[in-house]
Formats: sequence, C-alpha cells, structure tokens
Amino acid sequence: MIRVAAALAKRELVRFLRQPSRVVGSVGQPLLFWLFLGAGFTPSFRSAGLEGMTYLEYFFPGALLMLLLFASIFSCITVIEDRDQGFLQGVLVAPVSRLAIVLGKVSGAALIALFQAVLLLLAAPFLGLIPSPGGAVLLLMGMVLASVGFTALGFAIAWGLSSTSGFHAVMMVFLMPLWMLSGALFPVTGAPAWLYALMVVNPVSHALELIRAPFYAAPAALFASPAYLTALAVAGGWAVLALSWALWRVGRVEKGA
Amino acid sequence: MIAIKALSHTYPGTRRQPPRQALAGLDLVVDPGCFAILSGPNGSGKSTLFRILCGLLRPSQGTIEIGGADLFADPTRARALMGVVFQSPAVDRHLSVIENLRLQGALYGLSGAEFDARLAEAENWTAIRERHHERVDTLSGGLARQLELVKCLLSRPRLLLLDEPTTGLDPASRKAFLDALHRLHKTMGLTILMTSHIFAEAEDADKVAILKDGRLLAYDHPAALRARLGSEMLVIQCADPQSLGARIKAEFAPKMMCVHEAEVRLEEIEPSQSLALLERILDRYRPEIASVAIKPPDLEDVFIHITGPAGAGPQGGPR
Repeated sequence: MIRVAAALAKRELVRFLRQPSRVVGSVGQPLLFWLFLGAGFTPSFRSAGLEGMTYLEYFFPGALLMLLLFASIFSCITVIEDRDQGFLQGVLVAPVSRLAIVLGKVSGAALIALFQAVLLLLAAPFLGLIPSPGGAVLLLMGMVLASVGFTALGFAIAWGLSSTSGFHAVMMVFLMPLWMLSGALFPVTGAPAWLYALMVVNPVSHALELIRAPFYAAPAALFASPAYLTALAVAGGWAVLALSWALWRVGRVEKGA
Repeated sequence: MIAIKALSHTYPGTRRQPPRQALAGLDLVVDPGCFAILSGPNGSGKSTLFRILCGLLRPSQGTIEIGGADLFADPTRARALMGVVFQSPAVDRHLSVIENLRLQGALYGLSGAEFDARLAEAENWTAIRERHHERVDTLSGGLARQLELVKCLLSRPRLLLLDEPTTGLDPASRKAFLDALHRLHKTMGLTILMTSHIFAEAEDADKVAILKDGRLLAYDHPAALRARLGSEMLVIQCADPQSLGARIKAEFAPKMMCVHEAEVRLEEIEPSQSLALLERILDRYRPEIASVAIKPPDLEDVFIHITGPAGAGPQGGPR
C-alpha cells in the first residue's frame, strides 16, 4: 500500500514541477499578499499585547498558512481533472486499497506545499524570525498537519464535484473563510464576540498557532503551554477527521436504486 | 470468463428526475477465449453495464462472476484478472510513456526486473517500445491508444474490457489497433469484451451482443446474425419512406420490411427473386425513388432490423 501511495505521490510532484505556472502561482500569491498587505498595514497596526511587532512580522505565519492552503487547493483541483480525463478511473479499477489513493494524493500535495513553504521561509531571517532547531522541527510538523488537513478536506469536497469552476466557488465561500478567520490577518483577541467564537472553533486557527508559536518559544516551553497542546490536539484531530472523510468518499461506490 | 445473471440497474431518481432503469434482467455469458462485441443504440445500457463490470457502479440486482470470482463479494480477486481500456484516456499526458507504465506497474505491485520482463512482454507488438521517453501528449492518437493497451497488459490480465476504444482514431490507426487486439487475443488467449458502435469492427468477433433498453436482444456469431436477414436484401432510398413502404407492403407483401430514416428495407429475399422484385418496384415507383440497391445483409442491417427504426440513435444509425 505504501508503495502505491508513494508512486501516486511521485506523480503529483513530477506533474507539479512540469507546470511552472503552478509553481509561480502558488508561491507568488502568498508572497505578494504578504509583502503588499504587510507593508501597507504596518503603519496602522496597533494590537494590544503585540506592541513592537510590525504587521509584516505578524502576517508572516498567516502568509505561510495561506501558501499551504493555496497549494492544497491547486492539488485538489487535479482530483477533478483526473476524473475528467480518465486517469482516476484507471486507478480505481486497479486492485489497490482506497487508503493508498487518498494518501498518495494528500502526501504528494503536502510535499509540494512544504517545498513552496521553504521558499517563503527564506524571508523569515530578514524579519528576525529565527526558530531554534527544535522549533524548526515543530514548525515543520505544524505545516505538515495544516497541509494534510487542508488537502484532505479539499479532496473530500472535490471528489463529488464535476467541474473545477464549482470547486472555485466552494473554495471562495468555505476554504478561504477558514483561513481568514484563523487569526492570519488579524489577532483573535480584540475581535467582536461573534467573530471571536467563530475563530476559536475554527480548526485552522489552531493550525496557525502551531505555525506561529515555534518562532517565538522554545520547544520545552511550548510543550508546557496548554494553548499549544490544545492547538496540537485540535489540528491533529482535524487532519484525522478530514482524512477519514476523504477515505469514506473514495470508498463509496455509486449504487443502484 | 464473465457470467452475468439477472442483472438490473436503476439509477436513483432525484427531485427533478424520476428513477431511470438502465438494465432490466440481463443474462450474458462470455466464454473463456471469446472475442465479444457489445453493441446497442445510445441509451441502451452499454455504458452502465461497462461501469458495473469495472466495479465503478453497484447494480440494483443480479450477480457477476469474473473467472469464478464474485465481482461484488471479492472485488480484489476479480479486478486482478481484468484490464480495462476506457473511452477517455487513462494515461497522464504530463508524464512520459515510461513514467506512465511504471506508475501502472506500481499499482499492480510490479517493479525492478519483474517489471522490465512484463513490459517487454506487453509491448513487443507496438512501436511504443521505441518512444519510452516521450511525453504522452506528443504521441499520436493511435499510439496513445496503443499505450493504454500496453498499460493494461502489464498486469497479465485474462480478460480485457474495452469501451469504444477506437473512438476518435483515423481509419488507419483504427485498423492497426484492432489488428493488434486480434493478434493479442489469439497469441495470449485473452477473453475480450469490447463495446463498439462500428459494425465493421464486429465482423471479425466471435460473438456480438445487441442491447436495447437494458435488455439483450441478440447474442450470436456475426454470420448467424446476418443469416437472420437471409442472403439478400433490397434497400430503397426515397423522400417519403413511410408512404412508399406502406404501398410496397400492400402490393408486394414482402416477407420482412422495415422503414429506417430515408430508407425502405426489404429483408430476407430469395436471391433468385431479388432482381425481379427490384424491377417491378422500379416500374411502379420510379419517380419517387432516389436510389435502390440489392446487397447481402451486413451487421449494421441486422442492428437496424433488431433494434428497430426508433431505437437507432444519431451514432447508431447509418450515415
């Protein structure tokens, strides 16, 4: 099963590298968002408890998360393309486990997302954001969890859709808001009560915490912090649930009445 | 190799669409080593049957055994026996030929020396073997189809299922593909079930199944099917076939007659009488007739006869 998943994941990587527009699009957009919004909002950014932090710095983990989200979305669009073009049918009739099909897609997408995230991370030292070696490992883990969560969720949604334009609609009204309400753009503290409630139950907020915290605290301190441990549990649970949903969707065969 | 028993399928309805029955109590047995063609007008249930055979759709009722394995109870064993060529290409256009083949190998647990041996065996009949490093989107349509076939053969299937595999190919590529298929059928002893709209493709088959409205109307050797229409038939093209047909029927009382599109078709005519009948009809109705021909019936004529004029869809009828 692992070998089948690895072969499918490899296909994702090869396809990605052969379509330079995808590389440019999914690294370029978060980078431009970060640079423009970051530079533009920095003069007016004053948040309680975050004195001395530029918006460019505040928004950086959010931009990383956005990149992971976009990489996942692009990968999920290929689910629909594969269906249209028949590639998926060929995989489905092979005697392979459905779990291998899901893991192949999700791990391929996660690897692509991480590759892009590393490119954006090259900007971190210029902000003075240099995590410790242990912190870097935790950061990597946070990014993997977030990208698995996004991709598995997108996969499960895309599986039932017949058009890529339909997926764009879902992405704009469902996936983007998950990111917007994660604390990527503005802090959770200080938001109106109804928004605060939405942000706290949003699993993506917790994924963001996993990406933001390792820049500022040592691993030992993080594992002693209830906030970080909660975030880890929620983001992990989200990834597992999304994966299970995707697996259930793939395993379901259309039945007659 | 395939045993289909009492297979029925109804697509569940939605609020706007009533449920639709696509297959109604179908029985069909394809013997090992048989080259069978599945044919029928659009909407006859061919595609539904094909999707069920591949395991992409669960029927409402009925059973299917593939090589003795129950397709629904033991899908992994049944799937391991078959190779499927879909109508839409199942190869990745962004990958090279060999990358596609290796991926297929991985799906079936083949790698290393075993994969190389299987590949050599699977592609010994085609020019694909000289083009391993080319991207699939640079291959011609005919070669791309051959790649699909090579891909299927890697797993050494005993049964090949093909869904209108020659759609979109030019006549030369179509012939090359079918020739290769027939050679593989003979040399490897494969069982083949292929759906097709093109009756010339069915002439060389062992069995032809004709499906309409989810029922099997005929399943026989092509020669036996042709024999149902006798050895000669008369095809008259005219502007108003309904009215001319009615008059011919009243006047000449032909044994079998049907009206199809712009044609009146008189079937099962004694060879000794066909010319005389033709002359009498011409004598009587010459001004109305655009053309007339005496010919031995082919499978297309059988298809028109069996499925009836109303059943022949835009692609099913003659052009």
